[in-house]
Amino acid sequence: MEKEFLKETHHSVTLNVTAGQIDSYRELEKTTGTVRVYENGCIGVAGCLGEPDEETLTAQATDALSFGIPYPCSLEGAAEIIDLHDGEIIPVRELIPAMKDFLERLGAQCPKMAFSNKIRLEYGKTEYRNSLGRHLLSSGRHLSIELLAQNRGSGNLFDMAFVWQGEHFDPEMILAQFKQQYDAFYTPAEIQPGRWPVVAMPQDLFGTTLQHFIGDLYAAGASLLSGKLGEKVFSEKLTFCDDMNPGTSFETCFFDAEGCVAKDCRPVLVENGVLKSLLTTKKTSSQYGLPNPGTASAPYDGVPSIGFHGCFLAKTAESLKELVPGKAILLTIASGGDMTPDGHFATPVQLAFLLEDGKLVGRLPEMSIGGNFFDMLGKDYIGTVYDWPFKKVQLAAVMMDVN
Amino acid sequence: MIQFRNGYYADIRVEDRCRTVISYKAGALEEMRNRREKQAFLRVYDGKLWYYASTTDTGNLQKTLDGLYAAAEENPEILEDPVVKRFEKNSDKLYTFADCSVREIPLAEKQKLLLGFLPLLTEDSCVVLPMGTYLDRSSIFHFMSSLGADIEYDYQTCGISFNFSMAEGEKQFQGFWQKGGTRFEEMTSIGEELREAVREQAAFLRNSVPVEAGKYPVVLSPQAAGVFAHESFGHKSESDFMLSDESMKNEWQLGKTVGSPILSIAECGNVVGSGFVPYDDEGTKAKKNYLIKNGILAGRLHSAMTAAALDEGLTGNARAIDCTFEPIVRMTTTYIEGGDLNFDKLIAPIEKGYFIKTINHGSGMSTFTIAPSVSYEIVNGKLGRPVQISVITGSVFETLGLIDGLTKDVELLSFVTGGCGKMEQMNLPVGFGGPYVRVSSMNVQ
Repeated sequence: MEKEFLKETHHSVTLNVTAGQIDSYRELEKTTGTVRVYENGCIGVAGCLGEPDEETLTAQATDALSFGIPYPCSLEGAAEIIDLHDGEIIPVRELIPAMKDFLERLGAQCPKMAFSNKIRLEYGKTEYRNSLGRHLLSSGRHLSIELLAQNRGSGNLFDMAFVWQGEHFDPEMILAQFKQQYDAFYTPAEIQPGRWPVVAMPQDLFGTTLQHFIGDLYAAGASLLSGKLGEKVFSEKLTFCDDMNPGTSFETCFFDAEGCVAKDCRPVLVENGVLKSLLTTKKTSSQYGLPNPGTASAPYDGVPSIGFHGCFLAKTAESLKELVPGKAILLTIASGGDMTPDGHFATPVQLAFLLEDGKLVGRLPEMSIGGNFFDMLGKDYIGTVYDWPFKKVQLAAVMMDVN
Repeated sequence: MIQFRNGYYADIRVEDRCRTVISYKAGALEEMRNRREKQAFLRVYDGKLWYYASTTDTGNLQKTLDGLYAAAEENPEILEDPVVKRFEKNSDKLYTFADCSVREIPLAEKQKLLLGFLPLLTEDSCVVLPMGTYLDRSSIFHFMSSLGADIEYDYQTCGISFNFSMAEGEKQFQGFWQKGGTRFEEMTSIGEELREAVREQAAFLRNSVPVEAGKYPVVLSPQAAGVFAHESFGHKSESDFMLSDESMKNEWQLGKTVGSPILSIAECGNVVGSGFVPYDDEGTKAKKNYLIKNGILAGRLHSAMTAAALDEGLTGNARAIDCTFEPIVRMTTTYIEGGDLNFDKLIAPIEKGYFIKTINHGSGMSTFTIAPSVSYEIVNGKLGRPVQISVITGSVFETLGLIDGLTKDVELLSFVTGGCGKMEQMNLPVGFGGPYVRVSSMNVQ
């Protein structure tokens, strides 16, 4: 009988902000433990909330083998990889005074807006061991400032979001960037309907395409990509990965739920336009003869399932100006869109800005955008840039129909 | 016995939650688990700040509570605080599901029920990946406060969800159907409904045509109308968004006309289903609240904090997804009330329009969106071909004013997957529904 053991610890301190003031302090510590055992082509799983007792969980997981859940036993081999990023960002006792000061300064520089939502300090640690001698340990932490802004008097739930995540809190830099966005919000801009470069975070543009990368749907012929593994189906410029790399992601774990570690911690789905793999688990990979890139996730007491941790698109330009010279649309809130079964994507855009030579010019009226699955990732894909407005932020650009 | 201290407000919410998940994919068992979790969420308020803690160590709640007291500042006037003065002091033991607890049903019986329905998914050859999942949840809550509240109550959902990917030639469609309820026996007779759903969606795969984008009259099914009520107006009725800006109180004055005179939207935690919340997570007893009554803004949803800030009464809408989070203002069961038409009369005056039968998702800000799944054209007052629509959208207030027809019968729906998301708290179980609703003009893409 082979065995895997996982332990995850998550610690967070969260401040709630209402009307620009901190009104609550929440401290959360959560630990979970998991044991999976494999025997005779089946898996047994047991999990617990709180500090795990490995012996008890092993006995429970062994009992669960009787359910007869088929799962291949193909554990990753022996290795020891430890990657810890757990230095202090800001002492917990200093969080409230530091954020009070930050919010006061933000309120002073953005008087037409009212701010609410969360400021969160998060630490996570994940350990994986298996009976073949593999031991992985990963930790990460970040501070996130996620503020919703109401334009006073608008009557809206919120009109804009100011978001920053990072490991180094630099209030001057964050306030300066928020001020640029604030000024642009109050500067009206226009753009004619037609085809324009649309710049956005990758998940806003490509989130609805992910279902077509699911291994089960691919194998069943129910994906627009079915039968195209190994083929060049997208733009040469497009390299698309799941992102578990601490250099580009705020995920706290560099390996997947089955202990797989991808090259550069970025399981590749598309490389230079070629479909290289699908989202799988060890089970679906084995079942359908697909490569397993290592993107599984799992509830602490459940069987591994298909996961996706974050989007990574390879950089194609050094600056926003290089990526989209001239006029372009920066999409910041686009909620509610979807893709039809034949791959037509459309979404309303609630908030967008006009960019000119990579600079924020002003706020555009509400609009709708549309495109086709293969075109958006193919001939209409312009590229991706990093580090604007903050470190680790990716912005992808696609030529789209704008109404 | 918990020792609450004078000079502070404090409450403790403990949830003992059992959850069963059994799933099959392409005929093979994928998952079978019975999770039991006991967690507590503790709050201390000193009149200036709230201090929260979540713990799985429910045997040592006093220690966690004392830690929060140590962080807070004693306030001899705390009982005069406008938030604290609003809290109800209910004492109750309300076990609605004691006679039908899903905890008492053996796992094998749940598995057998699910297995019985799986063959129905593959009766049509276009289904290439059939999946079925049985889900239930049984929770027992205990709420205690320093004011003397002491409430025990239960919550239960039970249902089966089916996903059936379809493909035929170049055509593809992600089929989906679920039945949500509160009692196991409700699930035993869903076979014909499931069979009909698969049949209809197979026909959609084969016969649907792309929509001609434009502005059209649209008829919403109870499911689509419920999502519309929830997304377009329900979220706007959550009062926490009014606290940031004084001018919001003027914008959202009760008594203002916000919709068509035939439109009434209600919200009620007493509806037994996925949105059943007999007591909210601050111990407030549920009641029916009108958000819109005959087109007039009639009320909004509150926690104690928002009720105090706006000087209004409690509504029973302070909810958290579990004992990891603090309660915030959320919906329970939200629905549009019925009118006086039947379905045939509702669609009869429409020369060209669309009927949205099922949906994938919806969202609502100043503009709402609904992403339909199965839709039909309406031509000369009759249902026509199935159509593929990416999204229907419109300005919330404009659309509320364009509602010009409602059927008499109202359907309230329960769910066992998905749920409502609000910032960090995702997938809160809610219910919604309504009659069939006719809107004279919507953007269809």
